[in-house]
Amino acid sequence: MTIFDRNFFAFTIIMVVAVAGFVALFAVAGIGIRDDTARQAAPAGEAPADAATEIPSRDELRAMGLGPLPPVTMPADNPASEAKVELGKLLFFDPRMSGDGAVSCATCHGATLGWGDGNALSLGYPGTLHWRNSQTIINSAYHPKLFWGGESKSLEAQAKSAFTGNVAGNLDPVMAEERLRQMPEYVRRFNEVFGADSPSFDDALRAVAAFEATIVSRNVPFDRYMDGDDSAMPEPALRGLGLFVGKAGCVECHGGPLFTDQSFHNTGVPPNAEFETSVLRQITLRYQHRARGVPESVYRSADRDLGLYYTTKQEVDKGKFRTPTVREVGQTGPYMHNGVFKTLPEVVDFYDRGGGDDPGKDPLLRPLGLSQQEKDDIVEFLLSLTGEAIIVDPPDLPEYEVLP
Amino acid sequence: MTGLIWRGMFVNRFVALLAVAAVVAISAGALSANALRDPEAPPDARQQGASATPASVEELGHVLFYDNRLSGDASISCASCHAPETAWTDGQSLSAGYRSTLHFRNTPTILNAGRMERLDWDGRFAAGDMDSLVRDHIAEAHFMNIDGRLLVERMKQVPVYEEAFQRLYGSEVSYGKVLNALSSFVSSKNSVNHPYLRHLEGDESGLDSQEQAGLELFQGKAGCAACHSGELLSDGGMHAIGAPDNPEIFSDPLRHITFRRFMRLQGVPEYVSLRSDPGLYAVTNDEADRGRFRTPSLLEAGRTAPYMHNGVFADLEAVVRFYNDGGGEGENIAPELKPLGLTDAEIDSLVAFLSALGSDEEPAAPPESPPYELRTLGSN
Repeated sequence: MTIFDRNFFAFTIIMVVAVAGFVALFAVAGIGIRDDTARQAAPAGEAPADAATEIPSRDELRAMGLGPLPPVTMPADNPASEAKVELGKLLFFDPRMSGDGAVSCATCHGATLGWGDGNALSLGYPGTLHWRNSQTIINSAYHPKLFWGGESKSLEAQAKSAFTGNVAGNLDPVMAEERLRQMPEYVRRFNEVFGADSPSFDDALRAVAAFEATIVSRNVPFDRYMDGDDSAMPEPALRGLGLFVGKAGCVECHGGPLFTDQSFHNTGVPPNAEFETSVLRQITLRYQHRARGVPESVYRSADRDLGLYYTTKQEVDKGKFRTPTVREVGQTGPYMHNGVFKTLPEVVDFYDRGGGDDPGKDPLLRPLGLSQQEKDDIVEFLLSLTGEAIIVDPPDLPEYEVLP
Repeated sequence: MTGLIWRGMFVNRFVALLAVAAVVAISAGALSANALRDPEAPPDARQQGASATPASVEELGHVLFYDNRLSGDASISCASCHAPETAWTDGQSLSAGYRSTLHFRNTPTILNAGRMERLDWDGRFAAGDMDSLVRDHIAEAHFMNIDGRLLVERMKQVPVYEEAFQRLYGSEVSYGKVLNALSSFVSSKNSVNHPYLRHLEGDESGLDSQEQAGLELFQGKAGCAACHSGELLSDGGMHAIGAPDNPEIFSDPLRHITFRRFMRLQGVPEYVSLRSDPGLYAVTNDEADRGRFRTPSLLEAGRTAPYMHNGVFADLEAVVRFYNDGGGEGENIAPELKPLGLTDAEIDSLVAFLSALGSDEEPAAPPESPPYELRTLGSN
């Protein structure tokens, strides 16, 4: 039995009505308690096409684990500080932290593009094209595993792979350290933050992670709604919320404050045809298979991204990808590991059909039978998980100097 | 209609040719690539230009030598720094390098490199180990900065290369084969049509009288031949001559970065404070090797300015005057070096001789890099 079963739902509603009675009493007594009564989407003006969608109360939503994000926790060996964040910001925007000095983290994780690059498939290092969608930095600090295939277990480790990856930053760590050492301002800042005589690559990773951990979404409409602001979410978004946690079952994977189960699923996302038409994508696809040490037969037949499989080498993990957060999803399109869907309605349609066509597809996925109105409502809800763009202005970067 | 018939005939002929080719290649092992090509086949990417269908490992290496896709960001090739127009160097005091980096040594010519006792200025590669030298240059972050696996997948995306590696090596492209093809090309490049070599063969048109006077000084009073001996005009040894430091290495942050990183990776303990290129010392960690560099071949001396490991001398006269003064200062200085007492006229003669040293090479047109083409997904 899940919390979505009808019986449980009915029971909950009865309980909530009872609670509401108490609340009303307290309210009369002048004790400030937020109105958490269960609600039904009131058919304002024109009624929705289907029977009214049940919208759980705030308490019920909290009981499901939905709500605002908790504060970020940094790893024990990388406590945050203002100076560290500032240093990390410099490094994040510094193109000298790539092999040929042409790209920085911000090249593929741009603030105005939802901290992704806005492309279906990421750009990657000059001379290459990447094979995956560039994931947002927003809220990345909450993920226990990073990358679409969960390849990294910390922001620091993710940054290392992105800096050094041959189709990403293509940066030699010793080259990075000697470049940083050639800039007295960096030397001073590393010393201030880490107490070290000279900049080290590992400390650079820590600083970048600390900066990324500050790129967090707060007070999206849904958060404000949960905080008691009834006007924060319009009626269609509330209906969408009801569907998200109810009929559409999105919350089964997109649950918790981050709206992800932090797990890996095969949803049968269709292939991105660009791998048929781009020589550089084809090169990267094969290179990735070689670089990850898959068996020869897997390399020979490689025609798609196998996701979690690269880490586990388990057949059952082929085609599984990390459940992305849907917070800020309004500014992080295109969607899926290969960016094959440009818009949220396409994504919702995909899940309404029961996902894609793949023998290893997760049995959770089944046709949902959503009406157009319901699909529109879900999109409205997703947009209520999206806030303002988080803009960080590119900093003035330290300059190389002649060393005495 | 005739086109279809023609096409069918071509396919049949092609299949037959393949079968024949396989047999011949196995039995004889020395089949010209031209024989494999149907002269009447429709033109496609595989048939463009003479160099697009390399007939030998050296030819394949020649094409690869010019291919920018052998660098990480596909911006430079071997020929970017080893250009035939400048005697297979870049003509600079100090070499450039990968984009956003600058190097701290002078680019040596590839001519005659395959016959040298040691490779590179610090001699860190043994004679004949050209594959390692090529690997170093392709892989190093300050040279071409490419991952070998990525390089192989790029090569596999070029049908001309796929076909060439299959035909010339009997199996698909690999990193080792790319290195081998390149090193085979480099090792095949020797001085040609050379006045001094012609002179040695008794051709009186080789050197004029002043140049011959210079040669006599070279072998006699000036004592150059003590180290610049033998057919290559190099003893293959490692000597400290006290060439002045090139201040640009430390006044240009990009060069200093490369210098420091290189010395650090070589295991030089004092790499941070070092302000002079220690040469062989970086390889051996032996104080007796500090300041020693490979005796360069002088066969192309007339075409390969600037001179010394750090390009500190702009022309040959500066070099000759340096030696005339008894060389420079520093540790482990070669005992052979002493003031020579050459007159200005003798210096002129010596410079004339050295200036005559060089191949009269007609630079071939750079081969075009064959194009990437789409592959069938999943058929790798």
